[in-house]
Amino acid sequence: MFRLLIEKELREIIGSTKFAVSFGVCSILILLAFYLGAANYLASVAQYNAARAENLRQLEGLTDWLAVRDYRIFLPPRPLTTLVSGIANDVGRTIEINGRGDLVAHDSRYGDEPIYAIFRFLDLDFVFQIVLSLFAIVFAYDSINGEKERGTLRLTFANAVPKAHYILAKLIGSYAALAVPLLIPLALGSLLLVVMGIPLSSNEWMRLGVIIATGIAYVGVFLTLSILLSSLTQRSSTSFLMLLVIWVMSVIIVPRGAVLLAGRAVSVPTIEENNAKKGKLNAQLWREDREAMTKFQPSSSSDPQRMASEFQKLMQEMADKRDARMKQLSDRLNEERTNAQQVQRGLAFGIARVSPAATFALATTALAGTSLDLEYLFRDAALAYQQAYAGFMFKKTGVNLSRGMIIMRTESGDPEKPKSINANELPVFTYSERGVSEVMQAVLPDIGLLLLYNVLFFAGAFVAFLRYDLR
Amino acid sequence: MESGQPVFEAIGLTKKYEDETLALDHVSFSVRAGEIFAMLGGNGAGKTTTINLFLNFIEPTEGEARINGIASHKDPLTAKRNVAFVSENVMLYPNFTALQNLDYFSRLGGKTQYSKENYHAVLRRVGLQEEAHTKRLRGFSKGMRQKCGIAIAILKDAPAILLDEPTSGLDPQAGFEFIELLRSLRDDGKSILMSTHDIFRAKEVADVVGIMNRGKLIMQKHAAELAGHDLEELYMKYIAGHIRDAA
Repeated sequence: MFRLLIEKELREIIGSTKFAVSFGVCSILILLAFYLGAANYLASVAQYNAARAENLRQLEGLTDWLAVRDYRIFLPPRPLTTLVSGIANDVGRTIEINGRGDLVAHDSRYGDEPIYAIFRFLDLDFVFQIVLSLFAIVFAYDSINGEKERGTLRLTFANAVPKAHYILAKLIGSYAALAVPLLIPLALGSLLLVVMGIPLSSNEWMRLGVIIATGIAYVGVFLTLSILLSSLTQRSSTSFLMLLVIWVMSVIIVPRGAVLLAGRAVSVPTIEENNAKKGKLNAQLWREDREAMTKFQPSSSSDPQRMASEFQKLMQEMADKRDARMKQLSDRLNEERTNAQQVQRGLAFGIARVSPAATFALATTALAGTSLDLEYLFRDAALAYQQAYAGFMFKKTGVNLSRGMIIMRTESGDPEKPKSINANELPVFTYSERGVSEVMQAVLPDIGLLLLYNVLFFAGAFVAFLRYDLR
Repeated sequence: MESGQPVFEAIGLTKKYEDETLALDHVSFSVRAGEIFAMLGGNGAGKTTTINLFLNFIEPTEGEARINGIASHKDPLTAKRNVAFVSENVMLYPNFTALQNLDYFSRLGGKTQYSKENYHAVLRRVGLQEEAHTKRLRGFSKGMRQKCGIAIAILKDAPAILLDEPTSGLDPQAGFEFIELLRSLRDDGKSILMSTHDIFRAKEVADVVGIMNRGKLIMQKHAAELAGHDLEELYMKYIAGHIRDAA
């Protein structure tokens, strides 16, 4: 009996026109997402390699490490980034390294090619979040009340059919009818990655698998919700309308509203505000230093060499003090901004998680390495590199770049023809994503929440159907 | 089941809804094997409520609806194994063919032994054209769907058959064929309880006619008692009398 009910559910859905249309559209979109992702990745790799080569080419012919200017590091492209783009196209991919000062990332994909920013990219996240969730609603909005409208519910329950079996079969059948055909284009898409030569590590394959599983759990939320509302209402038009409203709220309103609300509740100092404070302090310190310079009294006015040396020492001491105070302020402001941002993001994401769409987006972007973490990781890697770069330069030139010294050099005697610098000696910039276990730990609450939504909605549908008026 | 024992039995059947509407008021009747009982009455008379109580779609406030001696609300699954149901507007699954619908509902009714040929045979018996057997129900007329519904009821091979307004919306030819089919089912020993507005067909086929009004069974007569009477006149008389009494 139970098997028969599941079979019927599967056959009814698979034999319907809406299934044929939605399966066709889904397959095309999923394959397109994989193809575009792979093509984008290959283009990004070519662009990345060209930029790195150009970066090194600029150093060709230089004979002095002190002459190195505009040395840049680049965010390496990652295959999963193109399948779930997250913020990857919004953050700058290039950082100029000078050995000191604030690091600013620029050359974001959307900055370079703003046309893509208008409608964003077609990626797996979009296909699941928007298209498949809508299809889940289309599949199941009339699963119970539609049967009532057709009279098949009365006819079915004129037989010895337990209600619990029927609703369980409804869920399993609908889930299977949606998930199994979805796995076909997803498997083909994964195969396409291999065919196109996208080098995914086992770690990345695992993450992709979890992204797909999370996507199916997310679609399941809308499926079970549809069955719930179909069990709570008598007319399919009513449940469809209610589901559309919930879908709009979940996919569009709640995530944006959560961010706006958190923005109003927690104020984060802007970079401009912080820069203004830094500028103000900098100006004040220069004023103080100028005053100190005017009061400079050399120990002996008859020895210019000694006078220059003492002045140089004073200048250096003032520069050190200035740098220390600037650093202190900068660190404090940055910390305050980071802390406020953390609170704001925690609040925004906490509210947004009411929406399954937001929960899904947070989980998948974390799995693909394109969450807000991407910006932090890139910045942290760049900071670490900046230190390594400054250390390397100090070793090569004796100049401590991190202290911003001004060096005056004099040349005398027969100049020896200088040798060119070897750019390959520069430390290599490495960007590492978080490890699988760390990422899994971070996304488990979100995946758990999606599963909980599934369970809650199904339990609701189960109870509602046990009380459902079959007449 | 002993011959002559009622297959359908309503004993003081009463249904009062939460809003205090009395939909059925102590209705009692019985239908034996090889007998057709036609419930006549206007909208809101209580005919469909009676059927819903037999199918346990609602629970009685008082009394019992029994099928083959089993009270529907006490043991609904066993009771339903003994009854086949044809609703007023048989829709079935539009994406399934006639054969697929028959196969599904037969298996749901516990009949797993049928072959494709059995399905074709029963569809021929109910008068569905051969070329329609393998077509999806999406394009079927109401009469064709009704025939499929009857075929499903026949395949269930239950001793009791419940029909809710089975002739409504059927053209005269389809109506005639349907009546012939009911007669053959009765001859097979089935006990048939049908609700209908159709006085003419009720008189033509029923062994017992009951007139319902405002939740009460106000008249119950055997075909022999009705011979020589104009049922329509009788119906109007009883309804008018009941309204007068109620006033």
